[in-house]
Amino acid sequence: MNTPDYVIETNGLSKAYGAMCVLKSLDLKVARNSICGFLGPNGAGKTTTIKLLLGLAQPTGGSATVFGKDIAKESDEIRRRVGYLSQDPRYYEYMTARETLRFTARFFYEGPRAGIESRVAETLELVGLADKADRPIKGFSGGERQRLGIAQAQVNYPDLLILDEPAASLDPIGRRDVLEVMERLRKHTTIFYSTHILDDVQRVSDTVVILNKGALVAQGPIDELLAWGQATAFTLTVKGDSAAVEARLRSQPWVTGIEEMSRNGRVSWRIRVSDPDVAEAELVPLALAGGGATVCEFGCKAQSLEDVFLSVVKESNHECK
Amino acid sequence: MSANEVLLVPRREHGWRMGLANMLGKEIGTWWRTRRWWVQCLIAILLQNGSIYLNMKGGMRVDAAALNFLTMAGLCVPIAAISLAQDSILGERHSGTAAWVLSKPLRRPSFILAKVIAHGLGLLAAWVVLPGLIFYLQIAGPMGSHLSAAGFAGAMGLDFLNLLFYMTLALMLATLFNGRGPVLGIAAAVAWSGPMQFIVQPMQKYAPWLENVLPWRLMVDFSHSGPLAGYLAVGQPLSTVVPIIATALWCMLFVGVAIWRIRREEF
Repeated sequence: MNTPDYVIETNGLSKAYGAMCVLKSLDLKVARNSICGFLGPNGAGKTTTIKLLLGLAQPTGGSATVFGKDIAKESDEIRRRVGYLSQDPRYYEYMTARETLRFTARFFYEGPRAGIESRVAETLELVGLADKADRPIKGFSGGERQRLGIAQAQVNYPDLLILDEPAASLDPIGRRDVLEVMERLRKHTTIFYSTHILDDVQRVSDTVVILNKGALVAQGPIDELLAWGQATAFTLTVKGDSAAVEARLRSQPWVTGIEEMSRNGRVSWRIRVSDPDVAEAELVPLALAGGGATVCEFGCKAQSLEDVFLSVVKESNHECK
Repeated sequence: MSANEVLLVPRREHGWRMGLANMLGKEIGTWWRTRRWWVQCLIAILLQNGSIYLNMKGGMRVDAAALNFLTMAGLCVPIAAISLAQDSILGERHSGTAAWVLSKPLRRPSFILAKVIAHGLGLLAAWVVLPGLIFYLQIAGPMGSHLSAAGFAGAMGLDFLNLLFYMTLALMLATLFNGRGPVLGIAAAVAWSGPMQFIVQPMQKYAPWLENVLPWRLMVDFSHSGPLAGYLAVGQPLSTVVPIIATALWCMLFVGVAIWRIRREEF
C-alpha cells in the first residue's frame, strides 16, 4: 500500500468561534517518523489545531489529513492509530494507573487478556510507574499524572503520538525522562508535540512549526530555522560610555541588529551581523575606538531556538499591526 | 516492538458500536467497583422500605401499603435518576475525561448509550429490584399479603419506566446545557409538577391531555385516579396505556436528542 510521506497535512485549515478566528488558514506538513515541535505563545492556536486533528472539534474552513485520511470524514480510522496526551490530562480518579492503561488498551485491542496485561506492564515500566501501578490516580502528583498521560498515549503503539505540553508540570528530572521516552519512541512513531520549553524542542526535535495568533509564522527542519535570518550573533559586554559604543556599532553596514541584554553597571548586547568574519575582526576595535569604554566580555553566540522563536513572533506581531 | 504485539487482536468494531463494549464495561464498573452500589442501595431501602416499615407498625392494610410504596418510589426514584445521570455527563464534560475518551476509538453515540445502559441497570437494581423485593417480603410475612407476584412485577416495571424517563431526560439536558442549574432545575420541575396540586389543577383545566403524555400517572396518585402501577400491583386492569407508551417514546426521543447533541459537541 502506498503510504503518504507526510503523516499530517493541512490545507488552509481554519477554525472560528463566531467572529473570532482562532486558526487562520494553516498549511502544515509533518513528515513520517519525525519529532515535530509545535510552538507558539499562549492562545496561538496549538491546542485548537490538535483538537481539530483528533476530531474533538470541527474545522470551519480548509481541510486536513492524518495518514492520508480526512479528519472530518475518517476520524475513527485516524483515532485507531493515534496516541494523544492532552494539555491537562484527566482520568477516572477511582482507577489505578494499571486500570487506566487497561481501559485505554481495550479501546484498541480485543485481547487476549494476557497480551493486554503484558502491554500494560511494559508501558508502565517505560514511563517509570511500575511501582505505583496499583495506586489510585487521585493520589498521584502532577508529574506522575503526566507520566501516566504519556503511557496511555503510547499503550497502543501509535503511528502518531500527539502530545500537548508533555513536559508541563514536570520537574527537571521528569522533563529529562519525558524527553528520553520521546527519543526512544522516535524509531517507531511520528511525534507531534506542543510545548513552551524551547530547550527541549532544540534537544529532541527534527522539525519545528511556529504558530502565532492562529497563523503559521515558521516551519521547517530545526537546523534551517536556526540559520534563519542571521547565521551568527555576537555578545559584547562593555563598561563606560556604552551609548557611544552602541552608536558606532549601529553605524556599521554589517550590523543588522543590536539587542540589549543587561545593564548592571555594564552593558551587554547581542549583536546580529550579516558578515561574521568582519564582525569578529572589527567589533572589539570599534568598541575600544573612542577610548571611553572597556570591553569586559566578547564572544560568538550561535542563534538559539529561543532567539528564532522570539524574532519570528515579534516580526509576525508587527505584520499583524 | 515487542513479542507480545503479535498476540494482541485489534478491535474492529465499526459504526456507532465502536468503543461501546469497553465504555460500557467502564460505566458498569462505576457502579459495582466503587461504593456507589451500596450507597445507592442503602438510600433506596431507607427511603422506600423504611417508610413502609413505619406504616406497617401503624397497622396499614396491604393495598394501602402498596400504594404508599409506589408513591414513595414515584417521588424518590426520579431524584436519584436525575442526580446520577446529569453528573455522569456534566462531570465528564467539565473534568475533561469526556474529551480524553473521545480521543480514543470511541463513537459519540456509544459514549451516551454506555451511560444509558449502565446507569439504567444500576438504578434498576438499586432503586427498583432490591427495594421491590424487600417490600414484597415485608408485606408477605407479617401482613400475609396476597399481592400477585406478576402484578407486582408489572408495577415495578412501570417504576423502572418512570426511572428511565427522568434518567434519559437528565442525560439529554446535560448534553444541551453546560451548567448543572438548568439541568437539575428543568428535570426536577418536570418530576415534581405531577404531585403539586397548584400545578395539576390549572393543567387539568387548560391542558388535560398533558397527564396522558407525561409519566406522572405511572407511579403517583395523579388527580385521585390512582397510579397505573397501583392497578397492576393489585391485579386490576389498567384504565389506560397511553402514558406508558408516551413515556417509552419520550425516553427514546431523549436518547436520540442526547446523541444528536453530543455528536455536535466540541471538546
